[in-house]
Amino acid sequence: MNSSKQTRMPAHTHAEVRPRAVRRLLLTASPGEHRARFACLLMLIIAFTCRASGAATAPRYGGTLIVELHAPALVLDPATWKAGSPEDSANLQMAAAVFDRLVTLDRYGRFRPALATEWSHDAACRRWQFTLRSAVQFSDASALTAAEVVAALQELAPGFSPAKPAITASGNHVIVQFSSPVPDLLEQFASGRNFIYRRNPDGALLGTGPFYLAAVVPAAGNTFARYEFAGNEHCWSGRPFVDRMQVTLGVPILRQLFDLQLGKAHVVELSPELVRRAAQENLRVWASAPVLLYALQIATESPAASRGDAAVARAAGLGEALSLALDRDTMANVLLQKQAEPAASFLPQWLSGYASVFNTENDVTRAKKISGALFAVAGAQNAAQPLRLRVEAPGDLARLIAERVAINARQAGISVQLQSRGSVLQGSATQGTSPAGSTTLATNNASKATDLGSLRLIAWRYSSLSERAELDAMVAALQIARPDTEAPSPDPEELFSREQRLIAERSLLPLVVMPEYIGLGSPVRDWMPERWGAWHLADVWLDEKRGDTATPANGKAQP
Amino acid sequence: MSFRTKLFLIFLITVLASVSLVAYGVTHYTQAAFEEMDAQRTDALVAQFQKEFAQRGEEVVHQVENIANAEITLRMALDLARVNADPSLYVHDATGAAQDHGLDFVEFVNADGTLISSAQYPARVGYKSDWVTATKDWKDSKAFLKKEELPDSVALSLTVVRTLPVGDKNFYIIGGRRLDQNFLASLELPSGMRTLLYRNVEQSFIPAALTDDHGEAAQADRFAAIIEQIQKSPQPVVQTVNWSTNPADAETFHAIPLPGRNGELLGVLLVGSSRRELVALTTHIFEIAGIAVAAALLAGLFISFWVAARITRPVEELAEGAREVAAGRWDTHIRVRGRDEIGQLAGAFNDMTHTLAEQKERLVQTERVAAWRELARRLAHELRNPLFPMQITVENLQRAKQLEAKQFLEVFNESTATLRAELANLNAIVARFSDFAKMPTPHFSRVNVNEALRDAVRLFEAQFHAVGKPVITPEFFLTEPLPEIDADAEMLHRAFQNLVLNALDAMPAGGTLTIHTLQHEGDVRIEVADTGKGLTPEECSRLFTPYYTTKSQGTGLGLAIVQSVVSDHHGAISVISEEGRGATFRIELPEHQPDGGASSSGAEDAASPRVAASVGTARPPIPRPPIEVA
Repeated sequence: MNSSKQTRMPAHTHAEVRPRAVRRLLLTASPGEHRARFACLLMLIIAFTCRASGAATAPRYGGTLIVELHAPALVLDPATWKAGSPEDSANLQMAAAVFDRLVTLDRYGRFRPALATEWSHDAACRRWQFTLRSAVQFSDASALTAAEVVAALQELAPGFSPAKPAITASGNHVIVQFSSPVPDLLEQFASGRNFIYRRNPDGALLGTGPFYLAAVVPAAGNTFARYEFAGNEHCWSGRPFVDRMQVTLGVPILRQLFDLQLGKAHVVELSPELVRRAAQENLRVWASAPVLLYALQIATESPAASRGDAAVARAAGLGEALSLALDRDTMANVLLQKQAEPAASFLPQWLSGYASVFNTENDVTRAKKISGALFAVAGAQNAAQPLRLRVEAPGDLARLIAERVAINARQAGISVQLQSRGSVLQGSATQGTSPAGSTTLATNNASKATDLGSLRLIAWRYSSLSERAELDAMVAALQIARPDTEAPSPDPEELFSREQRLIAERSLLPLVVMPEYIGLGSPVRDWMPERWGAWHLADVWLDEKRGDTATPANGKAQP
Repeated sequence: MSFRTKLFLIFLITVLASVSLVAYGVTHYTQAAFEEMDAQRTDALVAQFQKEFAQRGEEVVHQVENIANAEITLRMALDLARVNADPSLYVHDATGAAQDHGLDFVEFVNADGTLISSAQYPARVGYKSDWVTATKDWKDSKAFLKKEELPDSVALSLTVVRTLPVGDKNFYIIGGRRLDQNFLASLELPSGMRTLLYRNVEQSFIPAALTDDHGEAAQADRFAAIIEQIQKSPQPVVQTVNWSTNPADAETFHAIPLPGRNGELLGVLLVGSSRRELVALTTHIFEIAGIAVAAALLAGLFISFWVAARITRPVEELAEGAREVAAGRWDTHIRVRGRDEIGQLAGAFNDMTHTLAEQKERLVQTERVAAWRELARRLAHELRNPLFPMQITVENLQRAKQLEAKQFLEVFNESTATLRAELANLNAIVARFSDFAKMPTPHFSRVNVNEALRDAVRLFEAQFHAVGKPVITPEFFLTEPLPEIDADAEMLHRAFQNLVLNALDAMPAGGTLTIHTLQHEGDVRIEVADTGKGLTPEECSRLFTPYYTTKSQGTGLGLAIVQSVVSDHHGAISVISEEGRGATFRIELPEHQPDGGASSSGAEDAASPRVAASVGTARPPIPRPPIEVA
C-alpha cells in the first residue's frame, strides 16, 4: 500500500447552481427508477443498520481495483473522440480518472470547483472567466499553467456549443469569449470530453487527475490487453484510495460476469440481458440514467443539408411509416426485458425534461397505407428492392433491435435487409404479412440502395449535461437537419420546438434509451457515480475483509 | 483380289467382329453391373439418410420432450398462464434450453400462439405462431421438416412440437435441429459419394441455397436443371453432371425431394456418386479388351492365313489344273487332299481331265480320220480331174491303134500332150499339198506392215485392170506411221498375198478392194475387205478349214495358210461378212512377239491361233480348236 501524501478531499461544500438536467434526475424518475431508488434506499437502511451494529468500516487506502471492459482498446485523447460514440464511453470513464475538468458536478447537481476555483460571466453569458486553482501539478509533478488549460480547451473547442470561442489566458485566469450567450457553459465544462491536459511533444497526454497511466500490456495470444493505472501522488485533490487500477480490455460481457462472480474483477460492464441474471445471483448491479439511445436513421445518398424537398418528403414518408410500424414498447419491455425505455425523442427525459411530451404511436395499418402510397409513387422496382438497414451500433443488442426493426417494417409492407457494420449480411427479412413469412436470400442487387434511401441503426451515448450541446452534437454528427444559420438558443422552449421540428422530419427515429449497467464486486466500497454515468473511481476503496478480494489478473483469457 | 485374300479377310473380319462383340458384351454387362451396383449403393445411402433422418427425428423428439418435462419449463408455463404474466422474463430461456439440450432451434409459444422466446430468432418474440395452435394435438407427433426463418437466412429444420398442458390451455415447445452442412458431414458416406442439400426457399433455383458438407456448394448453377425439374414435379430424379470434358469427373446425382408437413417441397437431397471408378473400370476393361482384340487379331491373322492357305491350296491347284487344261494339257492331274468337298472336286477334276484326254484322243483320231478322209476326198477329187482325161486319153490311144498311122500319130501326139498337161496338173496339185505341209518356221524381224501390204497388192495390179475383165479398184487407208512389228516378212507377204487373192476371187464381177491398217491396243490391225457376194454363216465357220473352198478351182488352202501364218505370229484372224455385201478379213498382230522376236520352233510351238468369223455385224472372234496339219 502506498503512503499518502494528501488525504482525499471530502465531497462537500461550495454549493453552486444546479443544472436543470441534474435537478430533473433528482426530482423525476421512471417506475424502474423508483424501484432502483427503493433498492438503494433499502441498501442504505441495511448499511445504516450494519454501521449501527458496529460493522461499519472507514475508507481504506490500498489495493488494486480490477476493472474489465468490453472495449478492445482505450483512447485517452479526448480530441480524437467522436461525439455520441458508444465506443468512447469507456474512454470517457477512464479519462475522467486521469484528467480533471475545470468544474464538476456533485451528485446533488451542484457545480463544484475542480481546476477552476472561481468562475464568473457577464450578463449576457458571452464572456466567461475562470480562475485556476494554484499549485496544481500534473502526474509528472510539473505545474499546470493557464496556457496549458487554454491549449487543451482550444483543441476541444470544436465540440463546444456554439463552437470555437476565443479562449485566452490572463495570468491565472482563463477567459472564454463567445459571440452568443452561453449560459450552459458550466454544464458543458463539467461533462463530455472537456478535460484539461497537457500534450507533450511526443503526443502523450499528461493529466492532473487521481490516476496516471503506468503501463500498457498489449494483447498477446490468449491474453487480453491491459492498462494499468497508478495513483497520482501529486493530485491536487489527494491520491485515490486504491493504489492501482488494472483495466482489462476486450473482455466479453459474459466473461466479465463470470469474473465478477468468481471475484476476479471488481467492476465489470453488464449487458441488459445479464442484469436479471446478475440480480438473481445477488451481484451488485448499478444502473445509470438512460444514457444510450438506439435510433433508426433514414439516410439518403446525400446529407440532409443538400437534399431536395422531394427527397426530404420521401424520407419523411418512409420515416412516418416506419415510426408507426415500430413497436418500441415490445422492444423495451419484452426484447430488452424492461431494461430499456421506449424513446420518442432525441434527448432523454432526464436531460431535456420534455421527452414525455412526444408519443411513441404504433399503428401498423396506417404504416401500411403510407408505405403503400410511398412505393406506388416510387415504382414497383423500389417496392421489390429491400431497404438496407446498416447496423452501425456495436454489440449483439443492436443486432437484435435491428432484426426487430426489420420485422416491424415488414409488418408495414417495407422490405428491409440487414447489413452488418462491415459487410452485407447473408439474408434479409422481406416484405410480408406474417412475422413467420418468407425470407429471401441476399441477391446481387441487395446492396443496391433504393431511391428511398437506406436505414442505419445507430447508438448515441449522451455525454453532455447541456441539452443544447447534446442536441447540437447529435444534429451535426448525424446530419439529421439543415445547419442553423444562427446559434441555437439555449432557451428550453426554443429547444423543445427545435427538437419537435427535427422529430417531425422523421429522418431519425428514436427507438429505445437504455442505462449503462455496471456489476460491482463485493469489496467495492463507495461506488458513487453520477446518475448520468460519470464514475468517480478515485472515491472507490476496497474492503479487503469481505473475503472475495479480486486478485490482480494477468489478463489471461479463459474459454 | 484372290480367293485366298478374300478368305483371309473374311476370317480376319470374323475374328475381329467376334472379339469386338465379346469385348463389347463384357464391357456393356460390366458397366451395367457397375451401374446397378452404384444404384444399389445410392439406394443404400438414401436409405441410410432416411434412417438417419428418422433417428435424428427421434433424438429431437427426445430432446424436446426433455425440455417440456423440465421443471423450468413447467414453471414458465405456469407463470405465463397467469393473468398479467410478464413474458419478458423468459425472452432468453429458449436460448438456454437450446444450449442445454443441444438443439439448434427452440421456441416457446404461449397458448394464444404468441412467441415467448426464440433461440434462433429472438427478435420475433411477441409475434404469433398460428401454425402451432392450428394443430390440436401434437402428442406423439413425429419430427417433420420445416422451413425455419432466421434473421439472416432460411434454414431447414427437423422440427418437433410438444405441448405442456396448463389447465385448459397448452404451452408449446418447438425444438429443431438444423439440416445443414454439419448434418451432411455427419452422414457416413462410401468413398466417391457425397451429399448436397438444397433449401427450397424460392420458386426458382437459388445457387446460394445449395450446400454441401463444406458449406455453399461450388458450381451450384450446374444443379439448376435438376432442382427446377423437382420444383415442377417433386419426384426423384437421376441425372449425371459432367464437371469437365473428362468423363471421370462426372457425377451421377440422385435427387430426392424433401417435403414438409403439408407436403410442400422444402428441400432437395442430392446424393452424388462419382463416376471416376466406373470410368476407370470401363477404361481398364477397354484396355483389356483392346489388348485381347489385338492379340486375337494377331492370332486371327496367322490362323486366318493358315486356314485360308489350307483351304485355298486345293482350289489353287484346281485353278492351276484348269489353266493347264486350258493351255491344252488335257491330261493334267492334281493331287487329291482328303475326302471333303474340295477333295471330291479335285477327284472330279481329275476324272474330268482324264475323260477329256480320252475324248481329245478320240477326237484327234476322229479329226485325223476325217482330215484324211477329206484329204483323200480332195486328193481323189483333185486327182480324178486329171486322171479322167488321162484315162480317156489312154483309152482313145488304145482305140487309135486300129487307126492309120497318121491318124494314130495325130491322136498319139494329141494324147501325149494331154497326158503331159494332166501330169503337169497332177504335179502342181502334189506341189501345192507339199507346200502346205511344209510351212516354214518363221524368222522374225522388224517389218513394216504397210509396205508388206503394198507389195502384196502390187503383185496383182495386172489383174485389177485386165482387159476383158471387170475392174477391181484397190483402196488403201493406211495409218502412217504405223509401228513396225516382229514378223517373218516372207510369210507375212504370203499371207497378205493369199488374202488379196481371196478377195479378187470373191469379186468376179469387179469391185473395190479396201485395205485398212491401224494401231489398236498395242496390236497392229489389218483389214482386207472386198465387195463380193459375201459369205453365209456356215461358210464363215468353215472358212479356215484346210481344203475347204467355195470356189470350183480352189484347193481350200489359201485361208488355211493365212491362218497358219497369223497363228505363228501369235495373232488373231477373223472374218466379218454379210451376205451380198462382201467380206472383211481382220488380222491383229502383236507389235512384239512374246519371246522377243526369236524364231518360232514351228507350228507345234506356236500359240493357238485365234480365229473368229462373224456375219452381218462385227463381233468378237470365235475361238476355234487348234488345227493340226497332217
